[in-house]
Amino acid sequence: MAKRPVKKRASKSAKVPTPSATATLNDDIGEEKRLEMWRLQLEVRHMEQRLHDLFFQNLIKGTSHLAIGQEAIASGCAAVMRPDDYTFCTYRGHAHTKVRGVSMEKIIGEMMGKGNGLLGGKGGSMHLTDVDKGAMGSYAIIGAHLPIAAGAAWKAQYLKTGQVAFCFFGDGTTNIGAFHEALNFAVIWELPVVFVCENNLYMEYTPISEVTAVEHPAADRAGAYGLDSIIVDGNDADAVYRVARAAAEKARNGGGPSLIEAKTYRHSGHSRADPATYRPDGELEEWLKKDPIPAYRQRLKEFGISKKVIDDIEDAVLAELDAATEAAKNGAPPSEDSLMTEVWADGGSSWRN
Amino acid sequence: MAELTYREAVAAGIAQEMERDETVVFLGEDIAKAGGVFKATVGLYDKFGPDRVRDTPISEQAILGAAMGAAMTGLRPIAEIMFSDFLAVCWDIVSNQIAKSRYMTDGQVSMPLVIRTANGGGARFGAQHSQSVENWSMMIPGLKVVAPSSPADVKGLLAAAIRDPDPVMFFEQKSLYATKGEVPDGEHVEEMGKARVVRDGDDVTIVALAAMVPRAVEAADRLQAEEGISASVVDLRSLVPLDTTTIFNEVGKTGRLVTVEENPRLCGWGAEVSSIVAEERFWDLDMPILRITTPHIPLPSSEELEDIALPSVARIFETVRNEVD
Amino acid sequence: MDVLMPQLGETVAEGTLTIWHKAVGDTVENGELLFEIGTDKVEMEVPAPVSGVLTAINVEAGATVDVGAVLAVIDDGKSDAASPATTPVASAPAASNASAVSRTPTRHPSLRLSPVVRKLVVENNLDPAHIPGTGRDGRIKKSDVLAYMKGAPAVQVQTTALFEPLKPPQSTPPVAPLKSGAGRTVVPFNRIRQMTAEHMVRSKTVSPHVAQGVEVDFSSVDKVRKEKGGVWRAREGFSLTYLPFIARAVCDVIKEFPNINSHVEADNLVVYDQVNLAIAVDLNFQGLVAPVIQNASAMTAVEIARAVADLAGRARSGELTQEDHQGATYTISNNGSFGTLFTTPIINQPQVAILSADAITKRPWVVNVGGEDMMAIRPIGVLTQSFDHRAIDGAYSAAFLRRLKEIIETKDWGAALP
Repeated sequence: MAKRPVKKRASKSAKVPTPSATATLNDDIGEEKRLEMWRLQLEVRHMEQRLHDLFFQNLIKGTSHLAIGQEAIASGCAAVMRPDDYTFCTYRGHAHTKVRGVSMEKIIGEMMGKGNGLLGGKGGSMHLTDVDKGAMGSYAIIGAHLPIAAGAAWKAQYLKTGQVAFCFFGDGTTNIGAFHEALNFAVIWELPVVFVCENNLYMEYTPISEVTAVEHPAADRAGAYGLDSIIVDGNDADAVYRVARAAAEKARNGGGPSLIEAKTYRHSGHSRADPATYRPDGELEEWLKKDPIPAYRQRLKEFGISKKVIDDIEDAVLAELDAATEAAKNGAPPSEDSLMTEVWADGGSSWRN
Repeated sequence: MAELTYREAVAAGIAQEMERDETVVFLGEDIAKAGGVFKATVGLYDKFGPDRVRDTPISEQAILGAAMGAAMTGLRPIAEIMFSDFLAVCWDIVSNQIAKSRYMTDGQVSMPLVIRTANGGGARFGAQHSQSVENWSMMIPGLKVVAPSSPADVKGLLAAAIRDPDPVMFFEQKSLYATKGEVPDGEHVEEMGKARVVRDGDDVTIVALAAMVPRAVEAADRLQAEEGISASVVDLRSLVPLDTTTIFNEVGKTGRLVTVEENPRLCGWGAEVSSIVAEERFWDLDMPILRITTPHIPLPSSEELEDIALPSVARIFETVRNEVD
Repeated sequence: MDVLMPQLGETVAEGTLTIWHKAVGDTVENGELLFEIGTDKVEMEVPAPVSGVLTAINVEAGATVDVGAVLAVIDDGKSDAASPATTPVASAPAASNASAVSRTPTRHPSLRLSPVVRKLVVENNLDPAHIPGTGRDGRIKKSDVLAYMKGAPAVQVQTTALFEPLKPPQSTPPVAPLKSGAGRTVVPFNRIRQMTAEHMVRSKTVSPHVAQGVEVDFSSVDKVRKEKGGVWRAREGFSLTYLPFIARAVCDVIKEFPNINSHVEADNLVVYDQVNLAIAVDLNFQGLVAPVIQNASAMTAVEIARAVADLAGRARSGELTQEDHQGATYTISNNGSFGTLFTTPIINQPQVAILSADAITKRPWVVNVGGEDMMAIRPIGVLTQSFDHRAIDGAYSAAFLRRLKEIIETKDWGAALP
């Protein structure tokens, strides 16, 4: 069992570093964006914890890959995106899906295999998708979605829509062929895609450093494709926001792709079944000190945002989460009829006459 | 009617659809400026320009990934995989991603794309450039699978595949590229999922695909002339959707079914066809079902060996003659 | 060592074991008579293939079994060394794959019904034992059932299966064996008797027979026989009879009346170009066979004479093969040696006509010499043809006979003989 914050108000549990004394609230990010990112990070944190709890109540079957500790990356990028931008993410994709504004009830319902789930119970944890929100899918085969994101970017380029495709993946992905194919391809076609590597130090159970030729698995490869080496503190939503904004602007302006490596840490194991015993003693504790949630609460405080505003947002998230959980629990199982639907565009699954 | 080669019909089909639909785009290795390694896409780059007809690096995952990403966001891409053998290096994109995304997302994602590829033997290219792999695709839920045998069907079925809202694996038989045939003038679109009875007969039904169709027809002509055996030949044209109605009609008439498959024996498409007929038309059968296939071996490159391995006119003729009483 | 049911001819799939000459426990020598088998027309003695002790008999006398069936086991002292597997390595890989090599039926084909035949039989309440099978090895095909339901045997293109006689009636209930004694002797039908009985009944059932006869003056033939008979006998070793002349004349007439040389199949008359002439041969009152002179139409009278002598000799010595019985298109039956005036023969199915030659005797005969009728003594015989009235009519048959008479009486037979 991974250790994890257990208090309901997670943001009070850790000490945080002090932000720069020169920081001002109305800087290039501003209050509104920061409160948005605060809310997004809380939605992810609390929803992931809720999913964890539901797992241990045996209400969620199958598997689950939580992103507790990594919330700042998805939230910082989401705050940059236009509503019609595209997100492509991995099986550890609850966060990236949620921050596009996807319904918590539908995500939780899908995790529980309910008919009111986001995918009607057909996709499950690893394939959360909400096309209407630009969440173009969670991909469970490492590397596959990098070229797919490039394809979505190609469409934006071809039709000149100004859309950008964001593609999130883990450090382990940097060692698979599709990563390299996609980077080269996106560069030579100058595609508006932002590749975001979430380096949480472990591929699955093995430290990424043990199996990778370079220190920074993504950033050190960027140069091979003529890209800048970009490393960012993945536990700082503001920092992520800034590099993501720069990359998105570059893409929208025809400047082609970017590759961002965000350093972060996974508080839990790889998946539901992983107690993460392979981690050295004290590593988790060190990273819990850099937990992005309390850090961001502290920052908002230091920017002078009232405790009430900060807490109200969290209370609202929790209330929404409770309601969503109840609604999901009350959802009916999928209809048996749905088994044989949506293989083809005609809604059916017939392969013969 | 104009006479086109099988390869010219490829370019004609793509051009026809690119002219009528701006969202149709085309990518692949050496397909644009070079006109394709089989010269099947000559002229498209000049006609439609670099934004719509794009050369790619040797990156099959990127090619199909890009096609998928574009398809699910509103384009109708045609992707070429130079040899069907290379599908193995991007099979994740085909079998896990393209095929399954609609179902996994409960219908949120559409995948209107075509993967064209040069399939099959006869060119003495050996085991990694001559395989018939249409059965790989047939066994993946979510893929449609088409394999034309004539220039007219290349154009008409390619057009249909491009217009189809689902992913279509389009297998062009490379030894047929030089063959000629009449192709209807003007817009030509065939219906996907319909087999065609290319030769009428009463004694036995031979079901074939792609390059095996002309061989089956020639064997049937010999059977008629030399043995008095009247064979109907069905060009399956599409494995998914599968036109069982036409197969049932023919087998109901003749009581005898022979499949001629270029793929190696195990799990070839004929096994599925045979199984369906055995399950659903058992009581029409007057002879055990017979499958003529390439043996279950990697395909050799030597002319002599390859000719023995692939079902030949002589083998079809002799097998049917020996089995039909 | 296993003793197997041998293959008796290319198209024979089964045979009846008629008698064992050895019992279990007997010592047998290689080549010693072991058992006899019979097919439709051929009886064969089978010697032991190896010396040893007969340790098992699997098939009792009277049973009909497939070719290749294990009939008995002879312990030749090498029984431990099981015969090595002789799986041949396929020379061509494609061939081994091509056509599902092992498609050997596990039961006799005529007893196996394909799915569609089974369905038709059930749906139409038919007894498959009554449906003639024209497929491979007598298999009943869908077209056979459909033809049967229309009231006729199926059209058959292949000739090999044509001469497969019907099996003896399967429906005869088992009866207690008859016993001799008290003034009677029970003689069981041998296989030839059984087959003859079955065939004759069937022929009479199937074909409406009509018999027509003509009186023929054999003077021309007699002249040649008298002139050359002695030399012939010395050279050939057998007598020059009337039969080769009649046979040759029949072949000539068939050119003009081809429908006589045919088979009835379903609602079709299948007419053959070539005359395969069956000659009925009596086996010293032990039975009747009708071996075939293949392509007699291409032979001279001399060649026919030799062929007749060969067949008759082999028939009486039991050396006929299955092939000798196949493919006949017309039959001549010769009863003349017993002095009969005429015989109305039964058609040899599925042919459409049969000719009987009877005694040729000196008779007063009106001849015309120089425009005047006069009495003469001439060798006269009656030729009687039975024909199938389904296939041909009386006028056609009569015209055939008139022309036959004309050829026999007027042909320069001397030129035909060396």
